[in-house]
Amino acid sequence: MNRTLVFTKRNLMEMSRDALSYIFCIAFPIVMLVIMSVVNASIPKEAGMTIFRIDNLAGGIAIFGQTFVMLFTAINVAKDRSGSFLVRLYASPMKGRDFALGYILPMLAVALVQVLISFTAAVIVAFVSDTELKPEGLLIAAVSVLPSALMFTATGFLIGTLFNEKAAPGICSIIISLGSFIGGIWFDVDKTGGVMLDISRCTPFYYATKTARSAIHMDFTYGGFAVPLIIVTASALALTALAVWAFTKRMRADAA
Amino acid sequence: MNAIITQGLTKRFKDKTAVDGLNIAVEEGKLVALLGVNGAGKTTTIRMLTCLSKPSGGSAQIMGYDVVKDADKVKRLTGISTQDTAVAENLTVEENLRFMAQLYLEKQAVNDAVEETIKGFGLGDCRKKKAKLLSGGWQRRLSIAMAVIGEAKVLFLDEPTLGLDVLARRELWREIEKLKKDRTIVLTTHYMEEAEALADYIYVMIDGRIRAEGTLAQLEQLTGRKGLEEAFVSLAEG
Repeated sequence: MNRTLVFTKRNLMEMSRDALSYIFCIAFPIVMLVIMSVVNASIPKEAGMTIFRIDNLAGGIAIFGQTFVMLFTAINVAKDRSGSFLVRLYASPMKGRDFALGYILPMLAVALVQVLISFTAAVIVAFVSDTELKPEGLLIAAVSVLPSALMFTATGFLIGTLFNEKAAPGICSIIISLGSFIGGIWFDVDKTGGVMLDISRCTPFYYATKTARSAIHMDFTYGGFAVPLIIVTASALALTALAVWAFTKRMRADAA
Repeated sequence: MNAIITQGLTKRFKDKTAVDGLNIAVEEGKLVALLGVNGAGKTTTIRMLTCLSKPSGGSAQIMGYDVVKDADKVKRLTGISTQDTAVAENLTVEENLRFMAQLYLEKQAVNDAVEETIKGFGLGDCRKKKAKLLSGGWQRRLSIAMAVIGEAKVLFLDEPTLGLDVLARRELWREIEKLKKDRTIVLTTHYMEEAEALADYIYVMIDGRIRAEGTLAQLEQLTGRKGLEEAFVSLAEG
């Protein structure tokens, strides 16, 4: 049978039976969406702060949720590596690509479900707060954030490959904090300027958030949508290649 | 026919030689025990024979296939039960077996293989139970069942009864006895009574080399000691 699919199925089953996956990947982003919407409602209109308005927040939350997909991927891979099960599988006819795709594909499915649930929650918030949110923008955004989902999944795969079960969550937490900060999830980086904006523009997190927000706003300009999407896609492919290479190398070292 | 042949099989780790010029020939359908103190090179040998680790020198063949050049074929013909229990914890007994069967067998053969293995290993009562909820003995039994389900011709059992109580160990011996019928088995163990009870032939490894080999009677004759434990101690203390 197709070993990639068999391993993908096994990983999906393991995840679906782990309560953490629901907390990390589904519940937490929605909780943040609701909390930040409450914060938005509490900010006086005179302040002119729109970052937490649902049309801006939805894109940020989509990317924020994906950082937790990264965390969960890293935990899964590091946990598997810590026991004998993976060594047993190394002795089976499975190839490096079966392992890599088997870890990445289910997490992409989780990321897709996560973004659909987050956007559904965003529609409800928009309805309650009487804010315009274009459904076609959300649909395009749901597809546009798939490259960033791959980027974060690959990053999690890489961290789970390089670090053990104890270190991997810590490393991911640092990336989640830094990524959401310099990626402009919680504030408008473009309005900061200076060194802060330069640093943000050097990371793919900034472009991931920008892609999602532009799609929701139906802003498909070259600089606002196409360039960020290309940068995120390139980063995703590069990180995936790096993660697969690192895993294959580590696989040999773990088994030796 | 010999199921396993090694010629000068060697594994070096930086400044340490874990396995040093190993020459063994295991006849098809036999159960051989690989005995040795910790660090003797037993697990490293098994890792090379199951394509987990590349030899630094020499050669090894499983059912006529080279472990380096024909690794894919060797992997299909071998099964391994590692020292630590290797099961997917959140999957049930049946799902674990199905998962492993799907990696080795064609789709149409999977259901029959799962049912036969569940029956053969007496796993029927716990087939719907998650692996992490099983006792150590049952987890080990499942781990061995997962090594067997791919219709492995050569089975490597690396300390299969380590840490089990005496009853669980005896039960596993019975399972291993049943497996002897149509497979070649390599068993490593620190329990001498286990090797005495199960093995047709015994290799004693010291510092990565074969110090002695033979049946129990031959080893007793060689050392002039009665019983495998006494013979082993005599060989190990050199």
